[in-house]
Amino acid sequence: MFIRHETIEKNAFLMLLLTLVVISIGGLVEVVPLFTIETTVEHVTGVRPYSPLESRGRDIYIREGCYNCHSQMIRALRDEVERYGHYSIAAESMYDHPFQWGSKRIGPDLARVGGKYSSDWHYAHMANAQSMVPESLMPHYAFLAETVLDTDDLVKRLKAQRMVGVPYSDEAIANALADLRTQADPAADNAALLKRYPKAVQVGRGDGPATELDALVAYLQVLGTMVDFADPANENLRQ
Amino acid sequence: MSDLALAPRYNDAVVKKFVIATVFWAVVAFLVGVILASELAWPSVNLGLSFTNFGRLRPVHTSAAIFAFGGSALFGTSFYIVQRTCRVRLFGGEALANFIFWGYQFFIVMAALSYVMGFSQGQEYAEPEWHLDLWLTVVWVTYGVVFIGTVFKREEPHIYVANWFFMAFILTIAVLHIGNNLAVPVSLFTAKSYNVASGVQNAMIQWWYGHNAVGFFLTAGFLGMMYYFIPKASGRPVYSYRISIVHFWSLVFMYIWAGPHHLHWTALPDWTQTLGMAFSIMLWMPSWGGMINGIMTLSGAWDKLRTDPGLRFSVTAVGFYGMATFEGPVMSIRDVNALSHYTDWGIGHVHSGALGWVAFISFGALYYLVPVLWKREALYSKTLASWHFWTATLGIVFYITSMWVAGIMQGLMWRAYDSFGFLQYSFSESVSAVHPYYVIRMLGGVLFLAGMLIMVYNLIQTVRSPTTDKREAMPAGVALAGE
Amino acid sequence: MEVEAGDIVAGAMMLVFGLIGLVLASGATDNEMYVFGLSLAGFAAVFGVGLIRRHFDKAEAYARGEDWHV
Repeated sequence: MFIRHETIEKNAFLMLLLTLVVISIGGLVEVVPLFTIETTVEHVTGVRPYSPLESRGRDIYIREGCYNCHSQMIRALRDEVERYGHYSIAAESMYDHPFQWGSKRIGPDLARVGGKYSSDWHYAHMANAQSMVPESLMPHYAFLAETVLDTDDLVKRLKAQRMVGVPYSDEAIANALADLRTQADPAADNAALLKRYPKAVQVGRGDGPATELDALVAYLQVLGTMVDFADPANENLRQ
Repeated sequence: MSDLALAPRYNDAVVKKFVIATVFWAVVAFLVGVILASELAWPSVNLGLSFTNFGRLRPVHTSAAIFAFGGSALFGTSFYIVQRTCRVRLFGGEALANFIFWGYQFFIVMAALSYVMGFSQGQEYAEPEWHLDLWLTVVWVTYGVVFIGTVFKREEPHIYVANWFFMAFILTIAVLHIGNNLAVPVSLFTAKSYNVASGVQNAMIQWWYGHNAVGFFLTAGFLGMMYYFIPKASGRPVYSYRISIVHFWSLVFMYIWAGPHHLHWTALPDWTQTLGMAFSIMLWMPSWGGMINGIMTLSGAWDKLRTDPGLRFSVTAVGFYGMATFEGPVMSIRDVNALSHYTDWGIGHVHSGALGWVAFISFGALYYLVPVLWKREALYSKTLASWHFWTATLGIVFYITSMWVAGIMQGLMWRAYDSFGFLQYSFSESVSAVHPYYVIRMLGGVLFLAGMLIMVYNLIQTVRSPTTDKREAMPAGVALAGE
Repeated sequence: MEVEAGDIVAGAMMLVFGLIGLVLASGATDNEMYVFGLSLAGFAAVFGVGLIRRHFDKAEAYARGEDWHV
């Protein structure tokens, strides 16, 4: 059943159709099973949606293009695990719309930067990276500390994420603004916040409305901390 | 004065516009590249402003290079080629062709503006937010209708090989663009959206898109360019019809599978990584099929390399294509990737493709097209074109070699252990170690930009030189209303 | 002189884009959408004017008995 190529070459419709078939196969084989094979994303305890402040911080992380220099994916290689911590697992970014694994390390990996430095260090580092790390190539983000965080469409943002599969409860959405304010004020009572968002780190100085930098630091401080790898429940990470 | 013989058979006005846009965006892309390279060598170059930060400016560079410069070159040459190889005027009339031109330029300007204002989807090479994605979809569909419509009404029985590649490029980019940008906006009036996929699935879809932006935008489309301009400029037929068929179908089939090599050793399942690696290595063969077909077309016309600077660019481009498509499969091997990924080796690899292949094949096409489209005797100066060639080539050599050294050094430093079994270097030590190479890279970029400026001058002087066209040489009152 | 189908399609598209642009700009919640909306409306207006101009150039050329091409 040898078809002469001339037949295809003389029929634009046939050529387009065959091209479409040929380019569809690889994508379908590689993408579709990732949604259907149940073990693609590990079953671990601890991974939760980002708190409202962390989520806004993530928006700023994306807005400033941090992914252009920082990866968030510790590969399963000896030196990476020693440098950055436990290798990243798929479950840790299951609520990341979009993922921020990155492709280039002009700066270090940030997948487990949460808790590695104090929040004060982050505030100083974001304002002037070279003051903390002289060799650093990082731009200065002092303007984030001077910009009040826009919370007008906070609920809409969480609802949009819920539409794409992030499990924000009605209660979480109803309390979004309160949770955000609590997390940006270290003096506030954070019992309700921690119940909804365990391990959420309170940031800021509580001396005014939350800034964009507060949100970004809150996001950085939760990165890689959600899964407790010492917990026996999380022992079997095989995909 | 209605003489049909004098009436232009083809719509070259839109091609001319795209040629001008190609040259303009090339300068912008290279200039922003030099600025970014300087920011990495000396961080204070960004002047401390939010909108000149590396993170916001880098998408401007990548979009300007790939979509603005590369895209305009593809639109222009594909419209030029499809009309001549099908021997019909563009389908859809002048208005649609003009809409494609201005609509695409509008997309580029709005996208660049949105990045510096701080609006981004946060996925590489797919940064434009949802409203711009929709706009691009409209423009792209119009492009598809005009191009494919022209192929459908062709007067030649066969579809020429260049058009196979252009059709595959248009079709696949449409599929990729829509697939990767499915997102839910915060509201209809907010330029912020969340991708429907997350984490590992999002990563796979992104690199399915990302690698095939390389495979179909930067490869298939430009191969179409190669298949027209190299035979045309050398006056020789395409070397092997059989290779064209085999390498076309195997290239479009295999490229789609190669995405996962961007995700080796990550949380992507091993089976997907292995598939991606296997197909990336196999991809070497169809890629070299294209290279062989392009270079061997010169059999019997090699002497033209000395006299035709445009052809010299095209052929060198195919050489770089061969080199980059060998390096790529090597880097996709998981154990090589363990070293090369996340380092500047990747940046060097991309630029040997982008500067050596994409830019050079476009330069070859531009040197051919400008005298033809503006109906001039010849290029203003072959000497200047030679200067452009050597400055640009030297720039690429600086760029690639410095990034090889920097990348391999980073990879080795990150995994180095001292005699006690501890990691030998801190991350910041690897940052200061590559500083000299970042300076060399910046110089390479300056050379490439300088070559481009020589070209701009040369092309402007070509357009300003006397015409060979009878119609335009007529007294103003009799002349036809030209563009 | 006949009007090309492409002209009508492009004209209709500009009408729609112009309206979409104005609606987006009027409801915009951020700078980007405001700038985009206004620019889109501007784009549609300018392109529409261009379509009209070309149509009359063409008509005049025909009236003079000339052939008109881009």
